[in-house]
Amino acid sequence: MSEDTTTDSERSLRAPAREVPSFSPGRIWTIAISTLTQLIRMKTFYFLLAFALLLLAVGNFNFASSPAQALSTLKKVSFGAMDLFAWLFAIVATALLIPRDIEDRTLYTILSKPVRRVEYLIGKLCGVLIVVAISLVVMFVVCSAMITWQELGYIAEEYEAREMRDPGEFRARVELIEKAGFRAELALAAYASFLKAAVVAAVTILLSTFASSSLFTIIISVLVFLIGHAHSMATNFWLNESDNSLVVQMLLKVLKIIIPNFQLFSFSDGIVQGEPISSLIIWQMTGLTGAYLFVFLLISLLAFVDKEF
Amino acid sequence: MKTLFQKVPRFVLILVALTAFGLARGPFEDRLAGDLADANLLLPPPAQDAMQQMGQSALMGTLGGLRTLVSSFLTLKAFDHFSYKQWEELRQTYAIVCNLEPRDENHWRDVVWHIGINATADMQNNTSLPEFERNRRFNQYALQAVELAEQGLEHLPDSVIIRMQLAEVYREKLRDNGETARVYGEVMNLPGAPPFARRFHGYFLARTPGKEQEAYGYLMGLYREGEHQHLPTLIKEIKNLEEKLAVPGPQRIPDRDPDRPASRPPRSSGSTLPGGIVVP
Repeated sequence: MSEDTTTDSERSLRAPAREVPSFSPGRIWTIAISTLTQLIRMKTFYFLLAFALLLLAVGNFNFASSPAQALSTLKKVSFGAMDLFAWLFAIVATALLIPRDIEDRTLYTILSKPVRRVEYLIGKLCGVLIVVAISLVVMFVVCSAMITWQELGYIAEEYEAREMRDPGEFRARVELIEKAGFRAELALAAYASFLKAAVVAAVTILLSTFASSSLFTIIISVLVFLIGHAHSMATNFWLNESDNSLVVQMLLKVLKIIIPNFQLFSFSDGIVQGEPISSLIIWQMTGLTGAYLFVFLLISLLAFVDKEF
Repeated sequence: MKTLFQKVPRFVLILVALTAFGLARGPFEDRLAGDLADANLLLPPPAQDAMQQMGQSALMGTLGGLRTLVSSFLTLKAFDHFSYKQWEELRQTYAIVCNLEPRDENHWRDVVWHIGINATADMQNNTSLPEFERNRRFNQYALQAVELAEQGLEHLPDSVIIRMQLAEVYREKLRDNGETARVYGEVMNLPGAPPFARRFHGYFLARTPGKEQEAYGYLMGLYREGEHQHLPTLIKEIKNLEEKLAVPGPQRIPDRDPDRPASRPPRSSGSTLPGGIVVP
């Protein structure tokens, strides 16, 4: 009877390799968190300071003819800036990530491990979306505090002047201020900006899988965004200008098919102006965003799956 | 399949996938765009003349999804025109602003206020212009304000604040009591109307020639609602109408005319010092 003299380490080396799952949410989460850390180290959240300064400036402009007008302007500027920051940030952050990973050679280390390329892409996108979501939440909180503060100030002024006014007029004035002030539905406007930024990030990740530089990706992404946004708005204008030319019609159809319709995602404007929104529309927009993310990630994978670095 | 995947250029595959997705989402997006527009959540495209009037940067901003920011910037610019009393430029700037955000009643109210109240007041006070020109421009601005308010009401048929501003133009500038009464009459039936709109409708109806009987009935209805409506102006208007319509004495309201001095108190035997102090 022979004696087994192999050590534990030798046994583990000879043992069959542990099966690696083909798709792991854990690995995606790890990449997403490392992307978040990477973006935080790039000091990306400093733009929130610019946002807060913008709000302070607009809050102190004294050009409005009424408190309701002042609150309406504050809301429009702050949610407009929120929307702008969100999509611009989504483009720049996404465009920088993959080229930077190639430049730092981090990508080789990641892909030499049992990490699927699709997991890498999803992880990167999730990381960007987490940063965009955090930024939007912070901007929303700052903006809500500013609107509420202004609203309370205007209501306090109305209470001070209460004795000079008819009780009915006083109530009507306060109601007008409250109508133009903070409402919980404004959170849905921030959510709309998030959906738009998510689609923009998905488009940018597709472009960055075959682009040669970050600059190229940023420029093309901004261009795609502008075309996707202006398309539905400018269709009539272009057709009118070109006397319904067939070439222009064909070009517009091709653009509509290839480029996402970003105008649809601008429904935050209506919410900010006080229009009610049904939950069905919210679900439909969420579903559409999900479809965009899924399809654009799939197409990105087509370009990225056997790309040589 | 794998060979086909390797043989076909990746660019072509991407284009095919994008086209397939574009064709699949097209009808759904068109329907969704319709729903969003019906719910007033998507703003309609700006009119062609507004797009032509916009500067390059404003146009790019608008097309690039910065519509609300562009309109806020233009509102600031309009305020600048107001500061320098450049009424024509102000009107043109607001034409773009109102086109960009036609469902924001504050823009319509502001342009009606600027043109109908401020520009007309400037024409009343501007001594650098000959009188005939001041009068011409005064009327022109007042009528433009009415037209702008009507345009605003086409977009926002239930707006109280646009109507209130329109009523002010009719009341203060055009001195048209009939139209003022009509506008207040529309306001009072809308949700969020200030309570004084009901009284104002009656006051201006009372001053409209030929509407005295109708105004008397309406104001008496308000009077009968109770003590809370027995305001000096309401009583004064009813008293005026009672005189005009020669209402018989027993049917007249018992309240004293607020503009007539109260009957003197009986003289006391002692002399009275200022402040009502009686010296025995």
